Amino acid sequence: MTSPTTSSHTSSSSDKLKDSITDSFNYPHSVEDDPNKIWLEKVFRKHYFNSSSEIELDNYVSEHEFGFRLFDGYIRRHLNFKNKRELIASIIKFSPSDIFCSPARYQHPSASMDQKGWIGADLIFDIDGKDLQLDCARIHNMTFCKNCKLIEKEVHTSCSKCNSSMVQIVELPCQNCIRNLKKEVTKLVEVLHDDFGIENNSINIFFSGNNGFHIHVVDESFFNLSSMKRSSLTQYLLGRGYLVDNLGFRIDKSDNITMLPNKIYYNKGWRARLLSRLHLQLKNHRIDDKFMRKITQIKETNKIGISGVINNQIQNISVKIDPNVTIDIHRIFRLAGTINSKSGLVKSRVNNLTTFDPFKESCIREDALVKLDAFVDTKLFFNGTSYKIKTGINNIPEFVAVYIISKGIGDIYIEKLK
Amino acid sequence: MRFGNKDLARYPFLREALSYVTKNEFKIEDLDNSEFYHLVEKAKRKIEDYVFEGKLAYQIDYNKTHEIIVQEEVIIFLISLLLIKSISIDSVTKKFALFESMRFERYLISDLDNSNQDDKTVKLILYKIFEDLFQTKVDLEVDIFNFYKIKISDYLDHPIAFQEREWNLVNRTVDKGYVYLDGSEIVRLFRNELYLLIIDRIKKMNPEVLPDMIISISDSLKSRWEKMYPPLRAPGHQDILPPCIQHIYNQIDKGENLSHPARVLLGTFLIYTNKSMEEMIDLFKRLPDYNEQITRYQLEHLAGKRGNTKQYFVPSCEKIKLNNLCFETVVCKGISNPTQLIYRKSSK
Ligand code: SF4
Ligand SMILES: [Zn+2]
Ligand SMILES: [Zn+2]
Repeated sequence: MTSPTTSSHTSSSSDKLKDSITDSFNYPHSVEDDPNKIWLEKVFRKHYFNSSSEIELDNYVSEHEFGFRLFDGYIRRHLNFKNKRELIASIIKFSPSDIFCSPARYQHPSASMDQKGWIGADLIFDIDGKDLQLDCARIHNMTFCKNCKLIEKEVHTSCSKCNSSMVQIVELPCQNCIRNLKKEVTKLVEVLHDDFGIENNSINIFFSGNNGFHIHVVDESFFNLSSMKRSSLTQYLLGRGYLVDNLGFRIDKSDNITMLPNKIYYNKGWRARLLSRLHLQLKNHRIDDKFMRKITQIKETNKIGISGVINNQIQNISVKIDPNVTIDIHRIFRLAGTINSKSGLVKSRVNNLTTFDPFKESCIREDALVKLDAFVDTKLFFNGTSYKIKTGINNIPEFVAVYIISKGIGDIYIEKLK
Repeated sequence: MRFGNKDLARYPFLREALSYVTKNEFKIEDLDNSEFYHLVEKAKRKIEDYVFEGKLAYQIDYNKTHEIIVQEEVIIFLISLLLIKSISIDSVTKKFALFESMRFERYLISDLDNSNQDDKTVKLILYKIFEDLFQTKVDLEVDIFNFYKIKISDYLDHPIAFQEREWNLVNRTVDKGYVYLDGSEIVRLFRNELYLLIIDRIKKMNPEVLPDMIISISDSLKSRWEKMYPPLRAPGHQDILPPCIQHIYNQIDKGENLSHPARVLLGTFLIYTNKSMEEMIDLFKRLPDYNEQITRYQLEHLAGKRGNTKQYFVPSCEKIKLNNLCFETVVCKGISNPTQLIYRKSSK
């Protein structure tokens, strides 16, 4: 196991930090007694030393605010770097557990929030596995009890051993989770392109590094949008407050249908999507008798009634984004090409969504064999290989160990020298 | 591209229209001259109709030469602004601006509707008005059923896109970066702007001396208004008023208009708290577009007295939030309907 990076223990790197203390860097180093963190910090540093070219930045590095979460768990915000080289030097030096960058550009990125001078911000979207509430997730995710440290399979609301409700869900996304997330991404890209008129080459798709996708839109006509305008876009994507009246008819509380004045209903956007899902056709953008008969038929052949059918389809069409991420124009967001410490996977660019496999394309490359003490039996697939992890000591490549330790279901195993 | 004279008479706020009177060296001091009496009288009647009767009865007198029609309309418009400025009561200003903008809105709609497909010039002129006055670029899609289209971001500059649910982006036809609107919708979209424009024009009226005629008319209008609408007394002080309802009261007090969902919220809430029809009417009559008959009908409808409709309940906080009418404070903690604040108080 060769380590091409700096010293392998953290006390010396802590000294180095003190040498270079900037105002925002005050590293109390609470990690010395935590072998997992010491080890992760070392592997992350090695990764950034070898693969810094994967980090994606635009041409305005000096106008972004950066944030580092170090292995002490604290985030330093309002960081600013002159250029990519300076940033990468800093990343290798501190080996943060997570690295964030503002989608916004500022006149003074390191100033306090109200002094920054907001220039504009890329439009970003976050699709998170948690928001999909998939059935599979309840089975393959695990529950970690913060009180007695028990790890149980499946999702529970309280610990079965000590009954504590201080439990935390360990997300272990499966291929089905990824497939469903991709579906949301596809829906999002379609609306961004067809409705909002955004060119496909301005839409950048990234795997979030854990259990989701991040979409960055780099387009001048959206760069200056206020928070309020962005909230309109999220409402549009989520279909919140959609009025059925847009389809040319009205449904009252008892599911009666009344026609609205027949005008031209330009068959685009939400209307077109919804009508096509309902297999309803406008003729030359107008409602005709056939259309009417079809609605009545839907109403009569469905137990949930016409409003039930329509609401289900609205749910299907709506894109499950987290609106807050898009609306907050001052936040810092995970930097593309950096490791997500919730999983040890990289937030990596998705070039082909259909074939994309995060467990292949988002792994770090460090693959030296290490010893890991697993808390549970589990099976994982990485790079086309299946790894059967047994409770107890396992000999596995670093990129698998990073995943298990980041998920909190195993410890790095260090032979006691004493 | 120029308007015909007659068209300018309908849009006296346009710079081009104003030039019709300035070139004839019209001065405000001249209004005391008897030759203007009939115009001052017409402006006064218009204001009375708007402000006291709540009706839009104003008619342009077309039985004159084109030149005269435009001049008169511009002068009447200026006189009304002067009178309103001189009255200087916020609620009056707002009510006037609302009716006046509704009047211009009507003209716009009818001009848009009357122009047929090949009458492209009228449409071109109309959206030139929009561009000059409101800085919004509007394109006509002749190929797509004469829809107008506005860039999404420009569309969202208009407050109505946030105020009313059917105008939220999600309820608009959006395609390839544009919001599509038909003729009447585009005029509706500009109603707020037209309204704000008129308020702005009133603010900017600053003549050095006001003609005596104007002062005496505005004084009499003012005292008539003050007799009709004594200051709004604080409603039901023994209850905690939900912040969303309080906000509506404040809006009414400032003479602002209420959106449809705000009216429903206020109406259902008043019914819930057992206010009498007269008490409710007393509140609603302060709205700039108040119409007694319609208001009565709507309130009775909400109370379930009309036809076989059932009573409407006060909307949930969630629904209120959806309509941007929620102004949550600490008192709202843990509730899901504004009425719960009343229980809370009375259960003590
Ligand atoms: S939380 Fe409910 S009661 Fe409070 S202001 Fe909002 S809508 Fe009204
Ligand atoms: Zn426990
Ligand atoms: Zn799954």
